[in-house]
Amino acid sequence: MITFTKVSKKYADLSPALQEVTIKIPTGDFVSIVGQSGAGKSTMLKLLSAEEKPTQGNIVIDGWDITKIKNWQVPYLRRQIGVVFQDFKLLPKRTAFENIAFAMEVGGAQPKEIRTSVSQILKLVNLTDKAHTYPNEMSGGERQRVSIARALAYKPQILLADEPTGNLDALNSWDIVQLLMKINRLGTTVLLATHNDDIVNALKKRVITLNQGKIISDQQAGTYKL
Amino acid sequence: MIGISFFRVIRNAFRNFRRNVWLSIATTLIMTLTLCIILFLYTVNVLGREFLRNVEQKVDIAVTFKDTTQLSEINTIQKDIAARSDVQNTRIVTSDEALAEYRKRHADNPYIEEALKELNSNPLPNSMYIVAKDPQFYENITSSLRSNQYEEYIEKINFQDTKIIIEKMIRIMNIIKTAAIIATGIFGLLVILIMFNTIRLAIYSFREEIDIMRLVGASRWYIQGPFLMESVLVALISVSIATTILYVSLNTMAKNVNLFVFTGQNTNFDIYQYAVSHWIQIIGLQLVAAISLAVLSSYVAIRRYLR
Repeated sequence: MITFTKVSKKYADLSPALQEVTIKIPTGDFVSIVGQSGAGKSTMLKLLSAEEKPTQGNIVIDGWDITKIKNWQVPYLRRQIGVVFQDFKLLPKRTAFENIAFAMEVGGAQPKEIRTSVSQILKLVNLTDKAHTYPNEMSGGERQRVSIARALAYKPQILLADEPTGNLDALNSWDIVQLLMKINRLGTTVLLATHNDDIVNALKKRVITLNQGKIISDQQAGTYKL
Repeated sequence: MIGISFFRVIRNAFRNFRRNVWLSIATTLIMTLTLCIILFLYTVNVLGREFLRNVEQKVDIAVTFKDTTQLSEINTIQKDIAARSDVQNTRIVTSDEALAEYRKRHADNPYIEEALKELNSNPLPNSMYIVAKDPQFYENITSSLRSNQYEEYIEKINFQDTKIIIEKMIRIMNIIKTAAIIATGIFGLLVILIMFNTIRLAIYSFREEIDIMRLVGASRWYIQGPFLMESVLVALISVSIATTILYVSLNTMAKNVNLFVFTGQNTNFDIYQYAVSHWIQIIGLQLVAAISLAVLSSYVAIRRYLR
């Protein structure tokens, strides 16, 4: 369960990115967070991965108040939360396999465990045949799937996807959304920040709409309303 | 898990070293040069100390007694002086013993023997040699010998000449030490600056990976460790090179150095053998200096660019 209680975030010299946001996201939920640029979608995800700290309020993940997190605890939090970005953030000089293995190495996984897990994850994202391909030899959709695979390396409870389809065409975007839904069906809570209305409307999942840092709508099986 | 992480940190440190290989080599060279200066300072110190020790062993106060001073009086003075806590030993050389020694020394010179025969009497006075426990005590012993108590017995006290030699030697050594310390300071500063830039560039060239490491939950040690270990690696390579240079050059030059420094002195001191038997001290000194410089500079760079 993820709980936001009156969470506000204000960046220096700017209007508030989030204002008194209060929400509850049960474990295993699939939530789309929509809103125009600057509405506070990315800020919400950054607060969850402890990239930013809220100015006010509390964020609790499965009983862990991450607003009081110590610096040395951040890596442990991040191993429980997978993050996917619009620009993939893959290492260009490493193959798909190595990019995923890299994430596991960082966490101290043994080589044997890495070999087994990476192969399984590549199978999950349907990229077994691209295991030894470099990112620049892949399509945008494939790169994003590698990025998702890397986010799954620790078998996280939560997956944060920040505009994962932003750089993809419609076909690849839909592939990625299908993959996110598959991951969600396996029990992972998925938070998808997007402004792709077609995807949000087709998903028929919970939709939280933000405007100027405030929640203006929170609907189960909702639609894109901006 | 800790073992495998440590192995990966070390592996990444080697990779960092390779990625900026020329800069790493430059840093290693400057650090090696700094260590060589420290080792030079160490060698000069050892040689100087040994030289002084030898000279000091030869130093004594030579007291020449007046012709009117009786041997019994000389014995009393000897007892007084030997009882002092700052005196190591005393030795009386009678005029007869001195003459015998003089004759022995010049046995192959017939003119000296002729001259002595012509004199008809022994021209050499009774004398006493005093060795202090430490060279710094000579001043006090000399002044007490010059006191009124002994004035009527003593003709001459000879100490000044040797004192000048010792003081001169100490002055020269201090100049060499100061110059070497200044050079060590300058090169040490250079090491810090170059090492700082090496680590800064390494951090820059790995910024993409560092971002991703953070993203996927790398610990601070996993991210910062390789840069710290890279500097330790540079330090270890420098210590190895400087140690090799020291031992090879000492082995080659030891004979000449020993001849140059200890000619005329009764010593078996060999600087190479000394270095061999003090290898722990030599390597330890370098490790402390090199690792301190390396860790200090990389720590500052990490604190500044990897927060």
